[in-house]
Amino acid sequence: MAEEVFYAGIDVGTSYIKVVIINRKNEIKGYYVERLSSDLQKSINIAFKKALDMANISKSLINHITSTGFGRENISFKDGVKTEISCHAKGAFNYFPKKITVIDIGGQDTKIIKTDKEGKIIGFKMNRKCAAGTGSFLEEIAFKLNIPLNKINAIALKSNKDTSLGSYCTVFASTEILTRIKEGEKVEDMIKSAFESVVKRVIEMDTLEGNIVLTGGVIKYNNLILKILEKRAKVKIYTPPNPQLIGAYGAALFAKEAKD
Amino acid sequence: MTEPHIFGMFCPFCRDCLAQGLKNRYDYLDGLMIAQSCLHIRQAYTSWIKHRPVEFDKFLCMPHKVQSPHAYEFLTEEYKVFKNEIEEWTGKKINDKDLENSIKIYNENRRLMRELYNLRKRDNPPITGEEVMEIVIAMQMMDKAEHNKMLKEILTKLKNHTPDRQVGSRLMILGSEDDDTVFMNMVENCGATFVIDDHCTGSRYFWNEVENGKDKLASIAARYIDRIPCPSKDWEERKRIPHILNLCKEWNVDGVIIMQQKFCDPHELDFVAIKKALEDAGIPTLFLEFDVTVPIGQFKIRVEAFLEMIGEEDLF
Repeated sequence: MAEEVFYAGIDVGTSYIKVVIINRKNEIKGYYVERLSSDLQKSINIAFKKALDMANISKSLINHITSTGFGRENISFKDGVKTEISCHAKGAFNYFPKKITVIDIGGQDTKIIKTDKEGKIIGFKMNRKCAAGTGSFLEEIAFKLNIPLNKINAIALKSNKDTSLGSYCTVFASTEILTRIKEGEKVEDMIKSAFESVVKRVIEMDTLEGNIVLTGGVIKYNNLILKILEKRAKVKIYTPPNPQLIGAYGAALFAKEAKD
Repeated sequence: MTEPHIFGMFCPFCRDCLAQGLKNRYDYLDGLMIAQSCLHIRQAYTSWIKHRPVEFDKFLCMPHKVQSPHAYEFLTEEYKVFKNEIEEWTGKKINDKDLENSIKIYNENRRLMRELYNLRKRDNPPITGEEVMEIVIAMQMMDKAEHNKMLKEILTKLKNHTPDRQVGSRLMILGSEDDDTVFMNMVENCGATFVIDDHCTGSRYFWNEVENGKDKLASIAARYIDRIPCPSKDWEERKRIPHILNLCKEWNVDGVIIMQQKFCDPHELDFVAIKKALEDAGIPTLFLEFDVTVPIGQFKIRVEAFLEMIGEEDLF
């Protein structure tokens, strides 16, 4: 029996580094998510090593490494590069092989990617010069309210009130939230309105067609967004297991194709 | 710099023009003129001459409805007035011989540029889009006769030149004013080559020639009335779209990048119809909105993803 071989995808995003290692059957054998630091190289090396440890293999068994994400050029040991647009489409299509619209909400950008029923990209949109409607927006709101980021979803789930913010702008929104809390609004209602703001911003970016697949780190930790999006878009929304890894998974699939 | 004088939602190009004027960067100019194109640049002009007066200033009333049958006569009359004003200012008469000579030089310049553009139809174009942009910008700033001389030299060199670079996807770039060579360079280093453009500071500037008729001013007027229109003058019949589709076909274009000058309403409105026409013809488009400063990193990812998308199509 031939020795098993593996493929890796590394997604260096604007907030986190994601590494996925797959085998020939496209199964994820190892992965790791590491927060970006000022020492990018070090963070990349840590994430890669941890993913190798989880897969319980050595680097020599990785046949091909494809990098993606905003820091895709920073990986010294990569074999190939693909944009995160192609990687997210690829990863999401592998889970939902039909005509899909992928909505990826990342740390600093939101992407809407449309594929045909063969998985070929037919168009894409990205937020322009503003990070409203992205993870950074929620990070800033949590920071201003002095609430840990990993608590905001649970807090917002307590809200029963439909309310919205007057501006998408991160700076204005956080000021508005603080003012309204001072005036007696509940914290959970205000955090929920921040989630509503993210969804509204996403919906106005493009039309949503076919099956909608939601990916990205923001969804992994804040499933309320999925519920709000379903309610507003009035369609069933799909999300793959561990949506944060989809870009890296897509990159790993490209790595496999490059060697096939 | 321009905030007290023109609106913040005027396009960055005219705000930049005015800012440079107000900063006295053009203090070597004796005169300043403009022909009607859009409100934004016209108000930038008005503010400029108000705050930095020049010896000679002129607003030339180019008819907005170029498809009116009266447009030729109207513009010809405007030119007569303009010519008289210039003669009065300089103290020098401009006769038909002068005009004919000038038409000859300008036409030669346009013809040579068309020749240069035709070379880009080759499978391996001998010149990049970035280099062509430099030439087109120079064309609008330097003496035409001198430009002609240099163009001829370049054309001779390029005729048998086969550059040692990957052509990649063949792209068209279209939009309004665009002199962003940094952006062109970035795209052409991502596995693509610009083979044609439809910019008002690009191909549209020189595309058609003046027919050397008996009445020289009428001939020049006819050239400007009949030129490939910008979106603000492209009505009621839409003439620019068939022209763009034809360029795509003749230059064998794989994809089109639409550069939108922020806040330029005519172009933003035209974009919808252009995108549809191109996509109906099977040509993918990428829409980018730029300011005077281009967010190069953000644009790079979009351009690379667009090229991957086009590249994917090549497989079928």
